[in-house]
Amino acid sequence: MKRLYFFIIGAFSLVGLWAIYYRLTEGLKMTALTSNVSWGLWVVFYIFFIGLSAGSFLLSTMVYVFNMKQYEKIGKVALLSAFFSLVAGLMFIFIDLGHPERFWHALVYRQPTSILSWEIHFYLIYMLIIVAELWFLLREDISRLVIKAKGFKKFVFKLVSIGYSIPDNSEKLERDRKQTHKWMKILGIIGIPTAIGVHAGTGSLFGVIVAKHMWNSGLTPILFLVSALVSGAALMLLLYALLVPKEKQDNTMLKSLGGLLILFIAVDLLIVAAKYLVGLYNYVPDERQVLLNMMFGERWYIFWVGQIMLGAIIPILLLSIKKGSSTLKALAGLSTILGIFCVRWNLVVPAYLESPMPGLETAFVHDRLLFEYTPNLFEWITSLGLISIVILLFSLALNSLPIMETKEGKEDNGETADGVQAI
Amino acid sequence: MGSNKEPNQGRKEFIKKGLLAGGGLLVASELIKWKPMIEAVKATQHTEVLPLVETVSTEDVVIRMQKELHEALKKPVEEIHWIMVIDQKKCVACDACTVGCSAENGLPPGVVYRPVIKEEIGTYPNVSRRFTPRPCMHCENPPCTQVCPIGATYKRPDGIVSIDYDKCLGCRYCLSACPYGARSFDWGEYHTENTPEVMPYELEPTFEYGDEKVRKGNKSPIGNARKCHFCIHRLQNGMLPTCVTTCIGRATYFGDLNNPNGLVASLIGSPRVKRLKEKLGTKPSVYYLT
Ligand code: SF4
Ligand code: SF4
Repeated sequence: MKRLYFFIIGAFSLVGLWAIYYRLTEGLKMTALTSNVSWGLWVVFYIFFIGLSAGSFLLSTMVYVFNMKQYEKIGKVALLSAFFSLVAGLMFIFIDLGHPERFWHALVYRQPTSILSWEIHFYLIYMLIIVAELWFLLREDISRLVIKAKGFKKFVFKLVSIGYSIPDNSEKLERDRKQTHKWMKILGIIGIPTAIGVHAGTGSLFGVIVAKHMWNSGLTPILFLVSALVSGAALMLLLYALLVPKEKQDNTMLKSLGGLLILFIAVDLLIVAAKYLVGLYNYVPDERQVLLNMMFGERWYIFWVGQIMLGAIIPILLLSIKKGSSTLKALAGLSTILGIFCVRWNLVVPAYLESPMPGLETAFVHDRLLFEYTPNLFEWITSLGLISIVILLFSLALNSLPIMETKEGKEDNGETADGVQAI
Repeated sequence: MGSNKEPNQGRKEFIKKGLLAGGGLLVASELIKWKPMIEAVKATQHTEVLPLVETVSTEDVVIRMQKELHEALKKPVEEIHWIMVIDQKKCVACDACTVGCSAENGLPPGVVYRPVIKEEIGTYPNVSRRFTPRPCMHCENPPCTQVCPIGATYKRPDGIVSIDYDKCLGCRYCLSACPYGARSFDWGEYHTENTPEVMPYELEPTFEYGDEKVRKGNKSPIGNARKCHFCIHRLQNGMLPTCVTTCIGRATYFGDLNNPNGLVASLIGSPRVKRLKEKLGTKPSVYYLT
């Protein structure tokens, strides 16, 4: 089963590698983007994954900063998925550049008035914080693995442990664990504003654009942030229900995660309602027309089926079934994540579909100047490929590191279990 | 029969003579009446033509703009503010500026710097059309340069918003930020692709921003944001932007706003003047006379 899984996901990853290669050699003409719909599917995935990352990270801080013991079991996996989601988001923005080989320009040249410039720095700091947290959390386990493993695996583990080896007496171990505990808190406290900056900042990228009336609102960053929390909680629910064997699952954990998810969804709906209703109220066409097209235009289903059904109603219904099995909870998580993808789509694409000046759409007609956009096959394949690569890496990490601590570790080493409790 | 005619002829003769004599008398009396008046007019008439007032130029506006351009170029660059004035009543929507610009800058498919928006106003039988050429507005507060993460697009001291092709990442953030849709992305396509091959003239160098560049492979300007730059490369060499010189309606004017006696400065002192989307506070450097 596991083999088959890795085989399939590995095959998809190869497709992903090919797609990246093809994209880098052929340029952006492979996409269906136009100059007027200048951001498309890849940017949708970019903000989706950045949101997933920020959401997961903020959930992990409930454990390490706010000491909410009930969520302890998802702490590590939350951090790990925050890391890999961030990697995915950055990969998407990388292949979306016209000149990817110049990505380093973003670090060398700065522009204090540009949100994007700030964001790039936020992403880096955020990445460092996650990596440091993961290292503190896992160093003890990894150094145990170094001792046990052989050959190439040993080398990899050694590399990941960055020279940390488990102390030989329990006193020192205790001291190290205390140190870990302290650092997790410090890093988490720095991490919270950073993660908020990461995703609310990503929202501000859109919020400050005066040319796009639908984006240009103070609610946009908030909407980004809250939907990030929704997707983060949904992912945790999905992963917990999927990865932890049924007999070891903690029902109260599933319940409280479900409750959290419903809470986030409710807040999200509130903000969406506020933003859209205000936008629709007046007959000023700027924002109203975009919203009308989005809700009742050709692609009405992205809003009604995706955003509302998949993203809100179905998960709330599934989660409110009393004694619902963990499969149902996993489904609720999955449905929410798909719904949030639709939310991301609607945050980006519809704003482009209205011409900024009446008559511009017919002034000079060309495929690349249309106010229309449907992602082509290549964009979809590339996206699936990239996501597969990240899922593969994530699965490999899950497979070889004691992330879901209910797995092996507990039995063969008593100290690990203690360690987990100490943290 | 003959005797019958005679009295008739006699009568005709009489009437003829009478009429002649009467007409002659009438003319003579009129002449006598008018004579002093004609004399009086003759007495007051000047024979020499007054010289034209000096400030009114008889030159073609293009020649005048050209002269003023040369004058402006003598100033330090930060004392210049290039602006364009477009007279919508003169524009005939021939698209010559769009085409001229594309030829000058070697624009690939899907990239356009100066489309002409054609709108129909009113309903039959009360209709007219309005034409709005839309170059980059070279805003004084450009939202596009503000968002660029690396400052690859920036405002020059003479007011021109330019792009550094070798720096630009091609993130297309600026495309989203321009309220006028003035920016295009270079997707790396060719007009003559698959016909069956790209014609050599598409691989000729262009000279935007004064740099010689050949569009090939993934090299800039392929993969960059592109837009109107008031033909900086022509200005540097003392020439007017291409759209100004190709405009058959003489509807496009160009010059230095900081020259109070210049053509453009005088044109925008008019109740007909407007700028696009003024309420956004972008302060375009392109003015329209409606
Ligand atoms: S018109 Fe658009 S591209 Fe030109 S300066 Fe203004 S915002 Fe920038
Ligand atoms: S496309 Fe180029 S000029 Fe435009 S914002 Fe991105 S880096 Fe700057």
